[in-house]
Amino acid sequence: MEHQRCYIYEPPETEERAPKRQRTGKFNPQAQLSERLQTYRDIWAQQEERIQDTLEGADSATQDKIVNFISASASSSGETQFAIPTALIVAGPSIASHGPFFERLGRSITDDTNSVYVVLTSGECPNLKTLLKNLIKKVTSRVEDEDEDDVDRPSVSSRYGPKLLNYDLGHVQEWQKKTCAASIVVALQDSEAFDLGLLVDMVDLFHSWLDRLPFVLLFGIATSAESFEERLAGNSLRYLEGEKFDVTQSDEIIEKLFTATVANTDARLRIGPNLCHRMLDRQKDHVQNTQDFCDGLKYAYMSHFYASVPSVFLKDGIAFEDLAADAFEAVRNLPSFRRWVEEKLEDGQAQDVRQLLDSNESLFDQITQHIKSGQQALSNLSHSTHVLAGIREALRMSPSVRLSSIWTRAASGELNGSPLVRETMLSIKKIPSDKLVQLLAAMNELESDYFSIDLVSSQQRLDSLLKDTDAPLRTQHDVRNDSLRTTVVAQKVLLSKHKAALSEQDKAYSDLVTRFHDELDAYFTSSLIDPRTLFLSEILMYDLKSPHTEVFQPKPRFAVERALASPHDYLGCDCCTGVDGNPAALSATQPATAIVYQMYLESGTLINVSDLWSAFNAIAGDGVEENEPKTMALFQRALAELKYLGLVKPSRKKPDHISKIMWKGL
Amino acid sequence: MVGTKRRRDEDDTDEGTPRKLRARITDEAPDELGPLEAQTPSRKGRTQHLAENGTPRSILKKTGLIDGVHGTPKSTRRLVFETPTKSANHETPNGTPTIVRNADRSARRKSNRRILERTLNGAGSDEEATEDEDILAEHILGEEAEDLEQAGEDSTHEVPVPDTPSKRGRGRPKGSGKVGRPRKARSPTPPAELPPHEEYFWQNRPGGTKTSNNTLSAQSLLNHDEYFQAMQSYEDGHALEMHFLQELHGRAYHQWMFELDEGFNICLYGYGSKRVITERFTAHLYRHLLESAPYQGTKKTPKIVVINGYSAGTTMKDVLMTIASAMVPAGLKMPNQPAALLDFLLDHLSTHPSAHPLPVILNSIDSPYLRKSPAPSMLARLAAHPSINLVCTADTLNFPLLWDVGLKTQYKLLFHDATTFATYDAEIDTVETVNDLLGRSGRRVGGRDGVGFVLRSLPEQARGLFRILVMEQMALSLIEGADFEQYDEPTATAKSKKMVPVKNVPESSQGVEYRVLYHKAVEAFVCTSEVSFRTLLKEFHDHQMIESRKDAMGTERLWVPFRQEELEGLAEDLAREAF
Repeated sequence: MEHQRCYIYEPPETEERAPKRQRTGKFNPQAQLSERLQTYRDIWAQQEERIQDTLEGADSATQDKIVNFISASASSSGETQFAIPTALIVAGPSIASHGPFFERLGRSITDDTNSVYVVLTSGECPNLKTLLKNLIKKVTSRVEDEDEDDVDRPSVSSRYGPKLLNYDLGHVQEWQKKTCAASIVVALQDSEAFDLGLLVDMVDLFHSWLDRLPFVLLFGIATSAESFEERLAGNSLRYLEGEKFDVTQSDEIIEKLFTATVANTDARLRIGPNLCHRMLDRQKDHVQNTQDFCDGLKYAYMSHFYASVPSVFLKDGIAFEDLAADAFEAVRNLPSFRRWVEEKLEDGQAQDVRQLLDSNESLFDQITQHIKSGQQALSNLSHSTHVLAGIREALRMSPSVRLSSIWTRAASGELNGSPLVRETMLSIKKIPSDKLVQLLAAMNELESDYFSIDLVSSQQRLDSLLKDTDAPLRTQHDVRNDSLRTTVVAQKVLLSKHKAALSEQDKAYSDLVTRFHDELDAYFTSSLIDPRTLFLSEILMYDLKSPHTEVFQPKPRFAVERALASPHDYLGCDCCTGVDGNPAALSATQPATAIVYQMYLESGTLINVSDLWSAFNAIAGDGVEENEPKTMALFQRALAELKYLGLVKPSRKKPDHISKIMWKGL
Repeated sequence: MVGTKRRRDEDDTDEGTPRKLRARITDEAPDELGPLEAQTPSRKGRTQHLAENGTPRSILKKTGLIDGVHGTPKSTRRLVFETPTKSANHETPNGTPTIVRNADRSARRKSNRRILERTLNGAGSDEEATEDEDILAEHILGEEAEDLEQAGEDSTHEVPVPDTPSKRGRGRPKGSGKVGRPRKARSPTPPAELPPHEEYFWQNRPGGTKTSNNTLSAQSLLNHDEYFQAMQSYEDGHALEMHFLQELHGRAYHQWMFELDEGFNICLYGYGSKRVITERFTAHLYRHLLESAPYQGTKKTPKIVVINGYSAGTTMKDVLMTIASAMVPAGLKMPNQPAALLDFLLDHLSTHPSAHPLPVILNSIDSPYLRKSPAPSMLARLAAHPSINLVCTADTLNFPLLWDVGLKTQYKLLFHDATTFATYDAEIDTVETVNDLLGRSGRRVGGRDGVGFVLRSLPEQARGLFRILVMEQMALSLIEGADFEQYDEPTATAKSKKMVPVKNVPESSQGVEYRVLYHKAVEAFVCTSEVSFRTLLKEFHDHQMIESRKDAMGTERLWVPFRQEELEGLAEDLAREAF
């Protein structure tokens, strides 16, 4: 079977089922897995819905614009056009998201306008002929049955007139007569990758057919519209009548996704700060890909429910009867449980602790209670980050800090009393009334169950204060008063006079702002807790980097190199750790490939196989003449494996030499 | 600008206080230089000037002789940044005649004059300029080395100065490297604790590695029979540990199935053949599917597609056809072209979703057969479909480079380290690979005897053609060999006749041109038409007695894949008409 190329699996005739049966008696690590997975599916379904909504909403504005553009150009097709209507879609550098974007765009175009939509990629269009063939095939959705390469054979689709070649746009014209599509939208997804000459020819050709076929071109651009224009010659530019559309960049979408999923106040499971940091950094530095972000999130949820037994408590409306004793044992082993119990002991509640340790029922009560309160606390935390971000945005404070980074910092418990919060609070202290109006308006949107400040009364008092004045009111902390004074080259007397002359209104306003400030301050202090100090934080928040990193950012090269350079790490045997206490020495017991690899590491670019063999024989051979073929066989196998792994290649520089092509640790 | 201003002030005070002779002399030269530069403001002149004055050895020393203390490189540096306009005010240096004389004598003056002459005569050709630049560059590079010497020389002030740099030829001064910095003795092992990039350059340093000319004797390499015989009696000392590793990976099967269920695909990497793992996982999956919904209690069996990417000649078409055979009812007509077939398959999967996604187990996704252009993207499209579950393994070190960001997203892979240390029995043909690696693919036919065996069964013309080919190839390698004398020297370690190193032929001109061979064959009345010539060649090809390749120019070249000594033996046999 192993030498067959492809086959459908068939189990071997004699199937041993015995070993599988044996396992059931032992401890089952997958206790209540199905319940946990069910919970996972429930919770993830909610998140996925949010993700879908965000993604749909993210570029709907741009899509609508493009659709409008297409329908506008279609409606004007009655009169003769001199140029092909062209949309330059600046889709940004994250190529991975281009495909889904054009797919969504195509759906909305075909739904909303009476036109046909075709996506062409550079891969399928190496030259004009193939481009046209593909275009015709996709437009007319004609299935090509003939598989022989009858490239130039006239097809029989036309009954009247001369027979058309299969790359003749006449096909499209014929089809157009039948269907009366308002426009034929041709999208070139990766316009940069197209051959320039091909683009020019295509534009020429489409233009010459424009009186018969209502073409609309969409160019997907990863760089910038300017550089696209620069590539095309003036002649073809004259045939195009363009409009530029900017697509929401992936980092903004990621930000929105983050707000909708991780920082959402309704999320039942949260992703911890370390993991968030990793995922966001990875987005920024490596992939820039919304799909990847969602996958990462999903995998985090999967890992949490798959591997952690206590996660079963996140299930909605869980009853005590549903639970196995294992789950309670697992909770008792949580570090946060220990901390909590120790605190209780210090408070002298030994009786309670005894009960928690002995009785599952009372523990269950406590758990349900704490999960609820913990989730409340985390929601408060999330909301306070929203508030903070909202305030900063409303005050247009610089530097602008993204919600994702605020949230990550909040979740790691460093935000309370941090410079970021202090700075924000200070600027609130000094806020003039015109800005306060804006701020209150912005904060009205943020009002929710988690936000307890009485905005309405502040609003009312502010309104009553503002009724009588035209100029914006200032607080006593406003530095602008002082600075005004100093510009007038006046004496101290004047300055103090001014302070004293803080008008009644300003005083009242100052009081208002101070109260508002104090309330906000109290709110932040109460809600910006360190979530890791919560009891059951392990259940409420997933923050393990271990499976996540390996699964998404593997280091295959490192793994292989490590396996070969120190096989002991994987094999865990006693024999391969070195010779006579010298860990660096090559021992004969190591796998042959590992020995050859370590000699390979010490060599230069060219390796003499003959010398390599004598070195290998010195280590792995036993010096007995009869056993030499066996050593040779091992050597040959090792060499072949190195070749297979892509570590060496043949060299023609010298006979019996191979060249080294990989360096360890790069 | 600040600098010039300051200097102007200095000069002004100089006029008032003529006692400061020494300081003046150093200032003098640049002032003199100013107008010269003004005449030739081009870059060329500048660089020349810079090259001349930037040579720390000669000029510095001479100024050092004159004004003793001030002979530091700094003073020459200033020259470079002098602006011509500034010193226009100082057309006539106001110094006393003695100063002028002294200055005239100074080496700097001399060199400045030289520059003046050169620029005036327009002799500053580009070549010279670049040459000077080279010298400058060398000096900058060499500075480090010379620092040591210089330190010693500076302290004594009496060391005779070497001649001006213009007289020195290209290249680094002979002694500079060795004298200035004692060369480190080369050790056979790389210096430890180098950062990775440094290590790379260390390994790739020009002329870095010297290897001996030893060659393996023809007998020492095993052929297939010997290899398998030797391997049969071999027992791996780590069988237990390897078994443990497999067991360890076995515990993850359930997790992998969960991941597959959630729409991810799986990629296994790590050292050792992962075929064992995929095989067991397939069995596990099969049993699991058999016990679940659509199959339980029925005669129907789940279908799992297994693809061995490593086996020679696996194509996308094979892959797609097998998948199609598992998914599509037998009666349906399917397109023939892979691309169309893929479209058809994906379409079919979307319109007729099955009860569970079809598992596709792909061993060695990075095999050479699935690496080329359309295959990865087609596989990615396949893997992206929710009705396909892909489990693949990857063996090579750099396999992630196969996929760009877009493809990677489509694949939706989760990676798992599945190091097994198992031997790649099915994946590699050891003997063949080693022979290929050492350029001894001729051993495939069974060496000289094998060729003889084949030739005996062929007609007379075939033997004639083969003789011509062998002779031509030998003649060629003789000509080429003349250029590669260095490899011809017998090594001291060559113990037997067989160890005599073989002349090496550069890859580009290896083998006999197809045209040439054809004409020779026609001349020798071996064949009369190209058709018969081709027929004869095909016979050789089928027995792997010859190989062909298109070289860089696009001409086809043919050669007999034997080493020189074997070729000679062959030629002898052929000449004796032994076959």
